[in-house]
Amino acid sequence: MNIGGHSEPNIEVHKFYSGAVLGTCLLALVFQAFLHKYGRWSELIDLPLLVTIYFGVSRRNPVSGLFLGAGIGILQDALSHDNPIGMYGIAKTIVGYLASSVGARIDTEHPLSRFGLIFLFFHFHQAILALTQRVLLNHSAPLFTIHLFVDSLVTAGFGVILFALLDRLRRSS
Amino acid sequence: MIDTFSRHRPLSLLAIVILVQVLLLAFQIKRENNVRLVRYWAVELMTPLERLGTWTFSQVGGVWGGYVGLRNTRAENERLRSELDKLRLRTRELESRSAEGQRLSTLLNFHDAHPEAPMLAAQVIGASADPTSHTLFINRGERDRLRRNMGVITPDGVVGKIVEVFPSTAQVLLINDKDSGVGALFAVSRTHGVVRGSGDPEPHMEYVVNEEKLQPGDVIVTSGEDRIFPKDLLIGTVGATKPGNPFQIISVQPAARLDRLEDVIVLLSLQELAPKKSEEGSEAAGAARDGAQPPQSSAAAPKTFGIVTDPNKFKPPVAPVPSAAPANETPKAKPAVPQQ
Repeated sequence: MNIGGHSEPNIEVHKFYSGAVLGTCLLALVFQAFLHKYGRWSELIDLPLLVTIYFGVSRRNPVSGLFLGAGIGILQDALSHDNPIGMYGIAKTIVGYLASSVGARIDTEHPLSRFGLIFLFFHFHQAILALTQRVLLNHSAPLFTIHLFVDSLVTAGFGVILFALLDRLRRSS
Repeated sequence: MIDTFSRHRPLSLLAIVILVQVLLLAFQIKRENNVRLVRYWAVELMTPLERLGTWTFSQVGGVWGGYVGLRNTRAENERLRSELDKLRLRTRELESRSAEGQRLSTLLNFHDAHPEAPMLAAQVIGASADPTSHTLFINRGERDRLRRNMGVITPDGVVGKIVEVFPSTAQVLLINDKDSGVGALFAVSRTHGVVRGSGDPEPHMEYVVNEEKLQPGDVIVTSGEDRIFPKDLLIGTVGATKPGNPFQIISVQPAARLDRLEDVIVLLSLQELAPKKSEEGSEAAGAARDGAQPPQSSAAAPKTFGIVTDPNKFKPPVAPVPSAAPANETPKAKPAVPQQ
């Protein structure tokens, strides 16, 4: 698979209203921080990850996808109190790049397809985080637990709904 | 490089962005001992290079020291070898001089110990070309008042006698030459006999009856009957003995080292040598008076410059009855000393 290759000509590239991408990303980060105050249930959903995946598969541009992921991740690290800046940044950079590449090759409009993509990217994102923590911080972060599995299902389900809402921000071609 | 970057632009950008963030993390994360990860990595990255550099310089230095520097080492080695050879020669020369000094000192002591007897020191300058003939040449001759049949000794014991005299040299017949004969007697038993050369390195003592009880190491001295050597000069010791017909066959170990003679003394008269002038002889005599055992070998013999100090102290087990009859007529006969 030529992940970094050029987009196929028959795959539609979606455009968004100006400011929509930036506003959505900031809102996702604010909501993630805001909801965190109201209980641990908010930890089940990773809104910045969902936004990264969505704009990656929609815009289908690996370069913009990786920069978007890097920006969201670094901001997420900056808003956390104990994460060194770059932990989420690296994970979301790779997720943004891969989401853009995958979006250029497969159909990402169907809800089931979206659910599966979100589920897989969630675990991939978690794997990169765990690997980074193990290598750089010497922390034994888990690669897979039941709790993570439940999180991935909840996030995937919520993501399908969120993606449908975000589809409204697209400009009609 | 730039072309490759353009061709794989997204992937290259991904790598750059991740690398930047990894470095960002490395600046923030601290490992053990509060060391930042970036410093830890830098050290880990540089240490092998430094080790490689150190190893390389060490090897280069080793090659320089071990091979290139050997040029000087070889020259120095040759110079030192040459110097060592010179020093070895010098050492041997000094050793030779030292040995010569000791020999001359011994001769001088011997001469000083016996002022009553005229004697002359001489150096051995050659030997006989005939391997069966045990003779040698000394650097004294007629000009030094040497005559035939003068006795030649060393401080250790009897050597031989002069058989030919030339103006400046003389030929000495050793006591182990087959034509040689020395009037002798056992220091203990006073039994007479004749020490004759047999052509072997060791002479034999003849005309000693089989009943004579002998032990290896028994001292043999001159009897003075040959009119060549004064009485009681040390000849040697008894080596091996075995019964013969009609006389014992007695091997004699000469006290003088006949095969390594360098300096000798020529006795210019038959004047008996008195041991009283020798300090060492006095000690030996004292030891004999104290009941010491008779010497069992030349090395254990009294150090009296070739003279048995007190023959009376060596009591014979059986008092011999010397006979005036010729030696070859009866086993009990007193041997006739050949006048060579």
